[in-house]
Amino acid sequence: MAEKRLIILGAGPGGYVAAIRAAQLGAKVTVIEDTEVGGTCLNRGCIPTKALIASAEAIDKINRAEEYGIDIKGEVSFNLSKIIERKNKVVAIQVKGIRSLFKSWGIELLEGRGKIKDVNKVDVALKDGSNKTAEGDNIIIATGSRPARLPIFPFDGKDVITSDEALNITEIPKSVLIVGAGVIGCEFAFILKELGAEVTIVEMLSHAVATEDEEISEILERELKKRKIKLILNTKIEKIERGSEGSLTAVLSDGKQIKTEKVLVSIGRALNTENIGIEELGIKKGKKGEIEVNNRMETNVKGIYAIGDVVGGIMLAHVASTEGIVAAENIMGHSREIDYNIVPAGIFTMPEIGSVGLREKQANEKGMDIKVGRFQFRGLGKAHAMGEIAGMAKIIADAKTDKVLGLHIIGAHAADLVHEGAVAMKLGAKVKDIANTIHAHPTLSEAIMEASEDLHKMAIHLPKP
Amino acid sequence: MSPNDLKYHKEHTWARIKGKKATIGITHYAQESLGDIVYLELPEVDTEVDKDAGIAEIESTKATSPIIAPVSGKIIEVNEELSESPEIINEDPYEKGWIAVIEMSNTKEIEELLDPKDYDKYVEEEAK
Repeated sequence: MAEKRLIILGAGPGGYVAAIRAAQLGAKVTVIEDTEVGGTCLNRGCIPTKALIASAEAIDKINRAEEYGIDIKGEVSFNLSKIIERKNKVVAIQVKGIRSLFKSWGIELLEGRGKIKDVNKVDVALKDGSNKTAEGDNIIIATGSRPARLPIFPFDGKDVITSDEALNITEIPKSVLIVGAGVIGCEFAFILKELGAEVTIVEMLSHAVATEDEEISEILERELKKRKIKLILNTKIEKIERGSEGSLTAVLSDGKQIKTEKVLVSIGRALNTENIGIEELGIKKGKKGEIEVNNRMETNVKGIYAIGDVVGGIMLAHVASTEGIVAAENIMGHSREIDYNIVPAGIFTMPEIGSVGLREKQANEKGMDIKVGRFQFRGLGKAHAMGEIAGMAKIIADAKTDKVLGLHIIGAHAADLVHEGAVAMKLGAKVKDIANTIHAHPTLSEAIMEASEDLHKMAIHLPKP
Repeated sequence: MSPNDLKYHKEHTWARIKGKKATIGITHYAQESLGDIVYLELPEVDTEVDKDAGIAEIESTKATSPIIAPVSGKIIEVNEELSESPEIINEDPYEKGWIAVIEMSNTKEIEELLDPKDYDKYVEEEAK
C-alpha cells in the first residue's frame, strides 16, 4: 500500500505532535509553519512566560533573603536584557529540539504561509519568496490563535501591547494597567510587579482566574493584594486616551480614570482561521468562528481535520497535543475519540495554581451531591520549612460513590502536585484511596492526603471541629 | 479579664462604641488561638458591611480566618499600620491593634453583642 501523505498547517504543540505521531505510524508528513516551530506555546506563551517567572521568583527569594538567615551586603540589582536573553535561550533550545525531532522522523518542514486549495493540495508561499504546492491524502489544520485585539485599544506595540510584546520589553514601565485577570493577565501581573512596576489589573468578571474554583480565586486575589497589585473587578475599560506627554489614561465603566505608562491587554485569543482556504472549501465554522470538529477531530469536509486553539474549546497546549495525536491516529487507520473530562491545568502565579476536574460551583449547578475536603499548606511542616505557607488543597468527591471529581490546589508546586488528582480520576479512584495511600513526609503532597482525610472529617492535622 | 468598655461578638471580635461609630478588632482569645499573625487583608474604606459577615481575612502561621463584623454599617477608617506590621494585633489586640472603624447603620445591633463578663464565660466554655 502506498505511503499515506499528511499535510499539517501549523507546527505548534498541536501540529508538531500530530506530525511526529503520524510519522511514527508510517505517514509521510509535511508541516507548514509561517512563524517558528513550537507555535505560540514555545515562542510566545507557555515556555517564555515560565522562563520570566523563574527570574521573578529568583528576585522574590533574594528580596526575602533575610527570612532565610542570609545577609546581603551591598546592592542587588537585576538586568532586564539579561532576563530576556535567558528567556530567548530557553526558547531557542526547545525550537532546536523540535527541528531535530522533525529531521529524525523524516518530517518535511516548509517555512511559509499555507493556503488549502482542495482536500489534497496546499499552496505554500515560502519565506524565501518562492511558491510550492504540497500534496497529501489528508490535511490537519493546526493554525492556532493570537492575542485578541479589540479596536477600543489603541495598540502601538510599545505602550499599548499584548502578551507577545510584553515578552520582549526593553525597559520596566513605572506603571502598567493589565486588562483581564485571566491566566495571562495574572501571570504577567506577578512578573511585572517583581520587576518593579506598579501594577493594576482591571477585570470584567467578579473574580480573577474566574475559570478556577472560587475559593482558589479568592486566595489568589489575596496574594495579589499582599504584593500590592491592585485588582479592580466587575469593571470594563471604556476607552484608553493618549495624553500630550505620551501618558495613557484609561476610563473605566464606573467612571474612574487610571493614568498609566503602559497598557497590557490580555482579554483572550483570536483564532487564526483567515486566509487559509476554509471558506473556499466550505469548512464549517461555529458561533465563535472556531472550526467545527467531531470527537475524532474531523471537520465537515472528508479528509480534513482540525486541532488545537483553532477548534476553540479548551485552549491549552497539552489539549492541542492530545487532539493532534487523536487526529493523527485516526488518519492512520486507528479509531480514537478525544476525551475532555480530565484536563489538568497550571497557572504560574505566585503561588502556583493546579486544577483538574469539577469546580465546586459547577458540581452544585449540575445538582450533584458532593463532599469537599480542604487542607491549608500552612498546616504542613514542609511548607513552613520552605517558607512558602500560602495555599491550600481542595478535593471534591461524589457524596455517594466517594469518587474523585476534582482537585484544586494553590501553593508551591501546585501545577505539578495536581496530577495526583488527574490519575485518581482516570482510574475512577475514591478519595479514600488517596487518603489510604502513604504520602512521603515531609512533602507538599501531604496536603492532598490531609484534604482527602478532611473530606471524611478525619484529618489528623486539623483540630476537632 | 476582657476590657470593660467594649462589647463582644461570639466570633471573637470586639467593638468600642462612640456614638454612631464602632472601632473594631479581634479579641485576645482570637489572637492567641491564631498564633503569629503574618498578614491581614484590610477591608476597603467605604465598603458596606453586614453584621455576622466576614469583612476581612487574617492569616497566621497556623491558620487563615475571616474577621466577622460585630455590627453593620460602612467602613470609614482602617488601621493602615497593620498592613506592614500585622503582628501589632498579637501585641496589643484592643488598642494599637484596632482594625477598622464602622459607621453603624443600626445602633440597635449593639444590644445583640455580649458584655465583657458574658464573653469571658463564653470563651471559657469554648476552651473546654
